[in-house]
Amino acid sequence: MGSRFHEELEQLKMAILRMAALTERALENALQSFFDRNVEQAKEVIAGDQEINLLEVDIDKYSLRLLALDQPMASDLRFIVGCMRIAVDLERIADQAVNIAERTIFLASRPPLPPNPQLEQLADTALDMLKTVIGAFVNGNTDQAYDVCQMDDTADELNAAILKNQIKYILHAVPAVERSVQTIIAARCIERAADQATNIAESVIFIVKGVNIKHHCES
Amino acid sequence: MNNPVKMAAENLNFYYGKFQALQGISLLFHERMVTALIGPSGCGKSTFLRCLNRMNDLIPISRVEGTILLDGHNIYAPKVDVVALRRRVGMVFQKPNPFPKTIFENVAYGLRVNGVKDKAFLAERVEKSLQQAALWDEVKDRLHATALGLSGGQQQRLCIARALAVEPEVLLMDEPASALDPIATQKIEDLIHQLKKNYTIVIVTHNMQQAARVSDYTAFFYMGRLIEVDLTETLFTRPQHQQTEDYITGRFG
Repeated sequence: MGSRFHEELEQLKMAILRMAALTERALENALQSFFDRNVEQAKEVIAGDQEINLLEVDIDKYSLRLLALDQPMASDLRFIVGCMRIAVDLERIADQAVNIAERTIFLASRPPLPPNPQLEQLADTALDMLKTVIGAFVNGNTDQAYDVCQMDDTADELNAAILKNQIKYILHAVPAVERSVQTIIAARCIERAADQATNIAESVIFIVKGVNIKHHCES
Repeated sequence: MNNPVKMAAENLNFYYGKFQALQGISLLFHERMVTALIGPSGCGKSTFLRCLNRMNDLIPISRVEGTILLDGHNIYAPKVDVVALRRRVGMVFQKPNPFPKTIFENVAYGLRVNGVKDKAFLAERVEKSLQQAALWDEVKDRLHATALGLSGGQQQRLCIARALAVEPEVLLMDEPASALDPIATQKIEDLIHQLKKNYTIVIVTHNMQQAARVSDYTAFFYMGRLIEVDLTETLFTRPQHQQTEDYITGRFG
């Protein structure tokens, strides 16, 4: 293993960054389309998903090749395994963006529900988590990664509060049941995106420190 | 889970004339476990291996300081019978070196040198050793043919059988598969897995994947020093020292 291999690792990193940039844009646009009731923007998010899917497949293939041909060790091994995990999580976040965009298209064809500041707060949190964890990956910064893990608690709490409030709302406004359920699904998608950003944070910590903090396995 | 310590180097220094090849090496070898020694060329790993059965005594200008304990007894103490030591701590070399004799005589050699004459005993021990070296099935019908007619991989397993015939407790292997093709290499590696049920094994290898595959512990040497020793899985996934990390990821120098 020499400089050729390390150049290939750098290319793997670039592929992850490209995928991360597309995913971040997809989530941001999906959320914006949701709050602005912008159907065109939502359709763009859905159309853009295939590029992210293909990148995941490419990264998987590329990583597998590096593992098979170069038999990497230590930090190189952790980096490749970590990248494979991150690519899976990014692809899932992009799928959440598509799901949110589909809620946008549905809800835009119905009368708007009252403003929902908690949902906006959840969206900001999830997006912030994704941006922060991409930074953590780029810089190998585990402090930032741990911050993202902490932020996930806020996302969970907001999602629970949104669910509670929407149920209350349904009870008082029966004609809004379908729209409220769609809103609950959107909140759930945003919360899942936050979970997946947390997974990425765990992968960053694994890459840098070699410890697995998933499910509190290792401290 | 650690087995009891079989051998222990304590603050070992080794000199070729004025050149100090090993500096303060302290390292434990656990019973019935495989320890791999890795490091770049000239790092001292083979020199260290040869200290473990005093093969370096054969080099006139060499000098050893410190101790190596085998079952708690210093092998460098005065009056140690070096021949008896080498019977307990056997060695397999990089290049297969069968004697220009029959397969049978190669394996029986160590026993004959030790005065064994009982033919039935010799035959039994030769078969057992060849079985242990996973060579019996391939050579049982031509035990009295010359060993030089065997393939490289077979010759190396013959050398392992020869080392096992005197029933050593520790087996030292100096790059035992470096001259072999991948199939023969795999046989040697499988053999190491089998042998560690009964023997304590120390192996020097340049092939890190091989060290990762066959050993329980791995020790990284650099410029005559022991930089790091750990469970093989830990050393190859999460080394503690930057020099180890740089070496195993190919970022050295």
